[in-house]
Amino acid sequence: MTPANRSYAIQIALLAVIILVCVFPFYWMVTTSLKTQVVALQSPPVWTFQPTLDNYRVALFEDGVLRTLINSLVIAVCTTALALVLGVPAAFALARFDFRGKKDLWFWFITNRMVSPIVLALPFFLIARNFGMLDKHITLILIYLTFNLPIVIWIVTDQFRGIPYELDEAARMEGATQFTIMRKICLPLAMPGVAVSAIFSFIFSWNELMFGLVLTRSDARTAPAMAVSFMEGYNLPYGKIMATSTLIVIPVLIFALIASKQLVRGLTMGAVK
Amino acid sequence: MRDKTSGRTIFAFIGPSVIALALIGIAPLLYAAWTSLHFFNLTRLRQLRFVGLENYQTVLTDTAFWQAMGRTFFLLGTSLPLQLALGLGIALVLHQPGLTVVKTLCRLSLVLPMATTYAVVGLLGQVMFNQNFGVVNQLLGGADINWIGDPTNAFVMIIFWDVWQWTPFVALVLLAGLTMVPNEVEEAARLETKSWWVILRHVQLPFLVPGLVAVLILRTADTLKLFDMVFTLTRGGPGASTEFISLMIQRVGFRAFDQGLASAQAIILLAITIVLAQIYIRVFYKEV
Amino acid sequence: MNLKSMLCTTALVAAAATAANAQSDWSLSEAAAPYAGTTIDVVFLLRPGYEAIKEMLPEFTEATGINVNIIDHPYENALGEQVRDFVAGGDLDIALIDLVWIGNFAENEWIVPVDDIMAKFPELVDPDLNMDDFFPLVLNAFGGWNDTIYGLPFDNYSGLMFYNRCMLEEAGFDGPPETWAELKDVYGPALTGDGKYAFALQSKRNETQSADSFARMLWPFGGSFLDENFRSNLLSEESQAGLNFRQDLMQYMPDGIVAWDHAETVNGFAQGDVAMITEWSSFYSSVVDPDTSRVTDCVGIAPEPAGPAGRRPALGGFSLAVASQADEAEQAAAWLFIQWATSADNAVEYLERGGVPARQSAYDDPALAETYTFIPALLESWAEGVPEFRPRFAEWPEISEVVQEWGTRMMLGEVSVEEGAREIGTRMEAILEASGYYDGDRPLVQ
Repeated sequence: MTPANRSYAIQIALLAVIILVCVFPFYWMVTTSLKTQVVALQSPPVWTFQPTLDNYRVALFEDGVLRTLINSLVIAVCTTALALVLGVPAAFALARFDFRGKKDLWFWFITNRMVSPIVLALPFFLIARNFGMLDKHITLILIYLTFNLPIVIWIVTDQFRGIPYELDEAARMEGATQFTIMRKICLPLAMPGVAVSAIFSFIFSWNELMFGLVLTRSDARTAPAMAVSFMEGYNLPYGKIMATSTLIVIPVLIFALIASKQLVRGLTMGAVK
Repeated sequence: MRDKTSGRTIFAFIGPSVIALALIGIAPLLYAAWTSLHFFNLTRLRQLRFVGLENYQTVLTDTAFWQAMGRTFFLLGTSLPLQLALGLGIALVLHQPGLTVVKTLCRLSLVLPMATTYAVVGLLGQVMFNQNFGVVNQLLGGADINWIGDPTNAFVMIIFWDVWQWTPFVALVLLAGLTMVPNEVEEAARLETKSWWVILRHVQLPFLVPGLVAVLILRTADTLKLFDMVFTLTRGGPGASTEFISLMIQRVGFRAFDQGLASAQAIILLAITIVLAQIYIRVFYKEV
Repeated sequence: MNLKSMLCTTALVAAAATAANAQSDWSLSEAAAPYAGTTIDVVFLLRPGYEAIKEMLPEFTEATGINVNIIDHPYENALGEQVRDFVAGGDLDIALIDLVWIGNFAENEWIVPVDDIMAKFPELVDPDLNMDDFFPLVLNAFGGWNDTIYGLPFDNYSGLMFYNRCMLEEAGFDGPPETWAELKDVYGPALTGDGKYAFALQSKRNETQSADSFARMLWPFGGSFLDENFRSNLLSEESQAGLNFRQDLMQYMPDGIVAWDHAETVNGFAQGDVAMITEWSSFYSSVVDPDTSRVTDCVGIAPEPAGPAGRRPALGGFSLAVASQADEAEQAAAWLFIQWATSADNAVEYLERGGVPARQSAYDDPALAETYTFIPALLESWAEGVPEFRPRFAEWPEISEVVQEWGTRMMLGEVSVEEGAREIGTRMEAILEASGYYDGDRPLVQ
């Protein structure tokens, strides 16, 4: 074996291990979801068995997972849209205008991304209670802004800053307002960054558990909160839990794979400057 | 030089988001600060009363609180180096030329753990690490390891999942850094030396630093926030061996219903978070 | 607490209501007619007793036109969900009350006493309600607080000893141990080995730790959480004996028992790995179901073993009460549902579908005990139980959290039994102090 071939062999082996470790848990999740209760609890676990879709039928139609998936979708889409509507102009201002306290403002926006949701969950619950806002979609849509707005502002500010200022100047000569400049000149060029931040907002919102657990009960309950609610200490419906998990995870995985190029770019935007 | 934009224009752009975030992000904090000064138990609201700094005193002298805090940083201190080492390794392998198809496949599979719902990771952990019917013990050659019921093993299991979920993130960020190295510089270096370590240290590292900083910031923040995965996997047990700070606050606030004490804990956590974020961002991120 | 007087007033009101209804032949449909179309919200658990009522529910809806909106939660979330709903003035119309929550719900006035409901809606009281038919201990413990009855017992348990007759016979025993000491010293060594264990005590760090593990070992040894002055009694000789016994017994339990919840424990028994468990009566259906159990032919059931202080089996269970936040129509509909779900008429069907009714009359038929072999042990336990097995006051959830943390750390050996008990005691007294029990402001009721 030539050294080059050997290097390829080692590389392939390493890559195979990486892929396997990344993918195996999903394989196990999906196969467990196709097992009956008795098969799922066999020791040692079995790898071949007669698959059944029963867990999915029960989860979707009897336990109401379908409705929580719809709730999660509605909430994630709305909060992402709202974060963009509010965040993009703010990002533009941070990138383009000079004003006092700009640095502190940016820092404050970003700090929100660092705050543990439990810090907000307690008081937000009490406030929502006073306004009769518990178990409503809008409550989650708003609270999710606390992590989505910082993401949008962080990434899109970077993106706006990368656009040459001369383009603005030219437009201003022709009498365009700042708003027109943002919308007509800069936004189209910043679209990749906007898309990336939208993808992140969506994924984070879809995956969120704690606020969903504390602020909803039935009407607005989200899918992750639902998955957790099967964990009664009385039995081990692992098949059903894995079926629900699959239903939650597969859409977001497909979405992430389709958007993987942007996703990786997004990681590096905030990170590599 | 940019010309001055009128205050009104600036406000029109930035005002809505500031107001929104202030209402949603700051108002609750003020309320939490108020709550933290009271005896405020959800199941005993009739006894609501002002107690001054008593809750803070309780938190600051509560060994359990500081143990949970220490445990949280211990987790960061053990899983972050692992993520950095493995992530760097993966990035270097992916950065090698050739084998495009397999590498694309690998990059795609790296995206999966990151996007997975954290709560589901915990549920998956319960299934895979079960002592009797878990696949992990089977893959370890029929080992009889008690993962969930043993304090040390449970902690190891949490580290495993944290590493599983976030190493890909580190790898992809570092890979992006590696691709920033100009080709001619890297090739020139390769002619000089065969040692990958020398190349890494002197040629590639400068391009990796921004990514490393971002990883450090985000992983610190996310470890302080860590809740979902542990909640569904061990709920902080056995004993208190995996009770990290966010889990503890949740327990005090929503299971013991002592919102006053939990608010005081949350405010202290917030203070620690802000100080860390200040240090990180001011030191590593320069100008906006 | 004066059980007799409490039952008397309730009986009187019931009698008055009955008299009012005596002339017109009472029927559920007619009584419910004004409330047809009302929807009531209630939290249910994912347990057999709730599945049983769900199966019977269409009957009720058809007769009354009342819709019951059931929100399922795991036990560990059910208290938090309900507290948040009641604090927020939410839309639950019925409270599901574990016996340890009753003080909490009653003192916050989230639930309406049964007498008040009867006085408010005399025309809704079934002449056959017959409160005296409930087991007195159960009605008192699950539904009563401070001399007032709030809820009717719905999902009822007693701790029982499930034993694997085949494993015991193989080891030369012809019956289960009578005492805890016998279990540990005689049965323990004989039944442990080769991956099999004599006993498993569910001890996971949640209510299971405080109720099923910690409290279970206090009472039979004469210990208790509190003394008569509401000071910690955990350092008393008796309490320490019980907790040390638990620690000692762990050598005959599977590793990692501190992470075992009911599910793991019942499964360990059902797979034939564990010879004996002390579990709630409601698990009967899963250990005799061939789909979930491999030991169906070997299941034996006895009352829990006795300790030096006698037999003190674990007591647990739920009642349903009308929520005070519900509007009038919802309260009426809620009462009709509760009355129907706990009625003597439905008790046998409830039993057959997997529930455990608290109606004495339901167990009259001796044939039932042959099909449901847990019945004799259950009845014996309900004759001897301690209502304050766990204190039922509003502070319990907080104290339980403390017990859960230090109880598990004790079992793991991170602290000694004495240190752990002292830690729990100090923290428990601090909680009670803050609630004003030591100022003489509040009656010492548990």
